[in-house]
Amino acid sequence: MLEKMLEFMYFPHDVSTFGPQIDWLFTLIFWIVVVTWIAVSITMVVFLVKYRTKPGRKAEYIEGDTRLEVIWTSATAVIMIILALMSRSTWADIKENGPAGQVFYNVTAKQFNWEITYPGPDGKLGTKDDLTIENEMHVPVNQVVRIDLASKDVIHSFFVPNLRLKQDAVPGRVIKVWFEATEIGTYAIPCAELCGFGHSGMQGTLTVESEADFQKWLKDQYANANQ
Amino acid sequence: MATAKIRPLMALPRRSVASGDETERRFISNGMLAVLMLIGTEMMLFSALIGSFIIFRMQAAFWPPPTQPRLPIAVTWINTGVLLASAVTMALAVRAVHQSRQRLLRRWIGVTGLLGVVFLAVQGSEWVRLVAQGLTLASGNYGATFYLLIGLHGLHVSAGVVWLVCVAAAAMRGRYNVRNASAVELCAVYWFFVCAIWPVLFGLVYLL
Amino acid sequence: MSSTAAVAIGSAHTEHHELGFMRTYVFSEDHKMIARQFLFLALFMMAIGGLMAMLMRLDLAWPDTQFSFLRIFPQSIQNDSAITAATYNSAFTMHATIMIFFVVMPILVGCFGNFLIPLMIGARDMAFPKLNMLSFWVGAVAGVIMLSSFFVPGGPAAAGWTSYAPLSAVPIYTGVDWGQNLWCISIIVLGVSSLMGSINYITTIINMRTKGMYFFRMPLVIWALFITAILLLLALPVLTTALALLLFDRMGGTHFFLPAGGGEPILWQHLFWFFGHPEVYIMILPAMGIASEVIATFSRKPIFGYRSMVYAICAIAGLSWMVWGHHMFQSGMDPELGTSFMLSTMVIAVPSAIKTFNWLGTLYKGDIHYTTAMLNALSFVAMFVIGGLSGIFMACTPVDMYIHDTYFIVAHIHYVLFGGSLFGIFAGVTYWFPKMFGRMMNEKLGKLHFWITFVAFNCTFFPMHILGMGGHMRRIYNPTQYDFLKPLAPINMFISISAFVLGTAQFIFLANIIWSCFKGERASENPWHANTLEWSAPSPPGHGNWPGPVPAVYRGPYEYSSPESEADYLPQWQVAEHATAAAD
Ligand code: HEA
Ligand code: HEA
Ligand code: CUA
Ligand SMILES: [Cu+2]
Repeated sequence: MLEKMLEFMYFPHDVSTFGPQIDWLFTLIFWIVVVTWIAVSITMVVFLVKYRTKPGRKAEYIEGDTRLEVIWTSATAVIMIILALMSRSTWADIKENGPAGQVFYNVTAKQFNWEITYPGPDGKLGTKDDLTIENEMHVPVNQVVRIDLASKDVIHSFFVPNLRLKQDAVPGRVIKVWFEATEIGTYAIPCAELCGFGHSGMQGTLTVESEADFQKWLKDQYANANQ
Repeated sequence: MATAKIRPLMALPRRSVASGDETERRFISNGMLAVLMLIGTEMMLFSALIGSFIIFRMQAAFWPPPTQPRLPIAVTWINTGVLLASAVTMALAVRAVHQSRQRLLRRWIGVTGLLGVVFLAVQGSEWVRLVAQGLTLASGNYGATFYLLIGLHGLHVSAGVVWLVCVAAAAMRGRYNVRNASAVELCAVYWFFVCAIWPVLFGLVYLL
Repeated sequence: MSSTAAVAIGSAHTEHHELGFMRTYVFSEDHKMIARQFLFLALFMMAIGGLMAMLMRLDLAWPDTQFSFLRIFPQSIQNDSAITAATYNSAFTMHATIMIFFVVMPILVGCFGNFLIPLMIGARDMAFPKLNMLSFWVGAVAGVIMLSSFFVPGGPAAAGWTSYAPLSAVPIYTGVDWGQNLWCISIIVLGVSSLMGSINYITTIINMRTKGMYFFRMPLVIWALFITAILLLLALPVLTTALALLLFDRMGGTHFFLPAGGGEPILWQHLFWFFGHPEVYIMILPAMGIASEVIATFSRKPIFGYRSMVYAICAIAGLSWMVWGHHMFQSGMDPELGTSFMLSTMVIAVPSAIKTFNWLGTLYKGDIHYTTAMLNALSFVAMFVIGGLSGIFMACTPVDMYIHDTYFIVAHIHYVLFGGSLFGIFAGVTYWFPKMFGRMMNEKLGKLHFWITFVAFNCTFFPMHILGMGGHMRRIYNPTQYDFLKPLAPINMFISISAFVLGTAQFIFLANIIWSCFKGERASENPWHANTLEWSAPSPPGHGNWPGPVPAVYRGPYEYSSPESEADYLPQWQVAEHATAAAD
């Protein structure tokens, strides 16, 4: 039901573990907002029609109503604060804590490509046999991928719409990002932060594949690199 | 003279407020309001720079960087004294104008301006020395924040000196007395601000 | 000193000393003339900012296409009759910069601030008329500097109106050299202009109110302008600092924002948004004030909860200093900080709610007259609510992770800035036009403009929410480069066509202004039967505003349909029918 609605609103199909939480929050806010909007609009339209000027009728002299004002002020405040509290844990899961990683990459942005560094056959990053490939990211399905995100020049933003994931890549900093893709397929990794004349069109592809396919692909890449 | 009441320094200049019959009662003159607002803006300007300075300072592994020259602390202590003294002489000038003592007013305005110039001259010569030793805008954030913060303050002192010269010129013509003191008071408030912000900068940039 | 000058002006009014053409129309010190100067400067700039938007929409509907008519524009806008990635970046940068700094701010603060403050509080002019003149001319110079950047090699700034460093800090990153420098310089200069304006407004409001005009008898638009001026005074220097640091990075060899030299790119964002968020409220508060005036007048009712409206303005202003981080949720800022910014951002919806519900309350049991000004003010409320509600999605940090830097944000921007500020401006211009120019605006043209704008506006900007939900990034010149955006192409086409209608409709507004200036029906002193003080002056007011003494004020600004009077309004300056009431 939720999925149908989001699809109807052009949401890209969600393939991450935290995506459903984000979509749920989106839908929650959507309904709060739509109800508020309809209430406000209907009230407004009714008043506009009902109290349009008519000959011989004078407006009623009303300066305010403290009780009403207290009610709608505190109602809004309560809704907003509850919403903030509800969003808190999702945010903390995505950006602060997160599960332990199973696959580790470095991603370095530069004008106008993503450089994805895979640990070499030794399985460790930062050694000589690391393998860097531009714009092609392959990950195994259902495994926690942890990325050290950096940039060589300006600020870029690592965006995977299908994962609902976005994180700026900032030069001079290494920012930790994680995700776990749940469905096999290929997805776009556009850059979401203006980074110069090549910003439009800067994108990589994320290929989510089965463990076996992934290992095979990796092996091929290592073999290619060593030729 | 003996009967002239001595007003507290920072008293809002009630007398210069024309409470015409066309407006609500005023508690502060237009000029004083404008100067206070100007100071408010300046405070934000300095706060933004000081904030940036603190961020660089906290992130740097070494501060000052080992290869960069040290800032001249002893001379600057003395210079700080000079600037603070000028605040005192400015206060004396305000007192003089409240007593309508023309000669005294001219003298203290003059001394204040002179102290300001001395402060600027010492700062300038130190800058020349530092640049020669290799501390420049481009030599890293240590130099860059130093020149920007201290330079901005120097600009303010210069502006204050120019203002003092204008006030002094009018004072020479005997324009000010207890009834017409607001121009001196406005200049004084600004000068106090310039003097008050200096110890903060000195502490942050030189001492810490 | 200035108050004596003001009194002198008042008595000199009858003598009618002739000022030459230059002193009357160009270097005028009269607040009303300066207001008109700001208005026309801003309308001119709006044409340019709007043109940039039209070019952007042209490109987004037909990316990478050559249009021979583009040839008439300088090389900085088109390249070989097409809009390229680089010129597109310049286009949205200049579009936003011009719309924000040279259209909305000059009209709301420069024009309405200048025109309304003295007239509505009962002063003969601003506290510092010379400073006021200077403020306009410094602003005009800033405009010239900004426009000149279209003609320098490399073209105008192309790093977005937010000019994130290090993209903006090193010329080779964007390929723009002097354009970005001029951008910084222009905005620093404009800051000086606004500073002079704010000092004037605050001083005038505090010190030059007429007898009986207590603070809590001031019209809400004056309150809004007062608080706005304070925000400007405190926010602009922070931007100035940031711009100065950026200029030093570009030209002085420093490394404030360049990590290679120990700089901190995120610092730019903190400084920019510390200014930037108060800035967005600077652009909405005066429009809220205008809407309050217009809605009260044409509902013939007192504003619902006047005092809480005032407190809400103050609360918005106060809270606006604590929410800047909501622009930086995905920037790499500490996520825990993000959580606290989320909370403060959610809280800022509360005073906005107070305002919205009070506007609705004002309509309740009113006697609503549908003038053009009222239609625009009502649509201000309706559109601001949509824009504000879309802000809630972004305030929620996890949701913002998905919609940040997508067209969802662009939709929000335009609902609050066009739907909010610009509809407020339309309402204000129509409402005060008779006072400003002595003639009424044409209602037929006004309504035509309103309805086309209202429909086309929603057709243009509402679908942008859907683009955003589809993941459509902002600031890309060619969405067809992305496979996942291809299904959205028809929406982009629809938006572009609506945008052309929207742009064209603005010519009706312009035509109405010009036509009404010369041919409009002559306005009486108080054509709307309004209560506030400006309507006691002649239309248009002469030098010194009131030919006789400045009227004193006996009551609050919204005594519509008061049981105390026969008519459905009771102006602030009217001596009470029962002498006892004056004692209050
Ligand atoms: C006039 C300008 C204006 C105004 C008034 C606002 C008002 C608000 N804005 Fe907006 N904002 C901008 C102009 C403005 N904004 C611009 C220009 C940007 C983009 C900058 C850029 O990146 O280029 C931006 C970006 C922006 C972001 C960053 C998004 C991102 O980049 O990822 C966020 C995030 O929180 C945000 C939030 C809000 C909120 C919560 C409000 C609130 O003040 C809104 C409050 C109002 C309401 C909520 C509606 C009325 C209330 C009710 C009807 C009561 C009931 C409501 C509930 C129960 C929910 N804005
Ligand atoms: C007040 C602010 C304001 C206003 C009014 C507008 C108005 C419009 N905006 Fe703007 N816009 C912004 C502020 C504003 N915008 C901001 C802040 C951004 C973000 C920029 C960034 O990312 O850095 C943005 C970005 C932005 C984008 C996204 C660009 C991108 O991210 O790739 C788009 C795309 O469609 C767009 C379109 C439009 C359109 C079609 C209008 C139309 O409504 C315009 C219609 C108006 C006219 C065509 C003018 C006509 C006027 C006259 C005819 C009067 C003539 C007068 C004389 C000749 C004296 N805008
Ligand atoms: Cu990289 Cu945009
Ligand atoms: Cu904001």
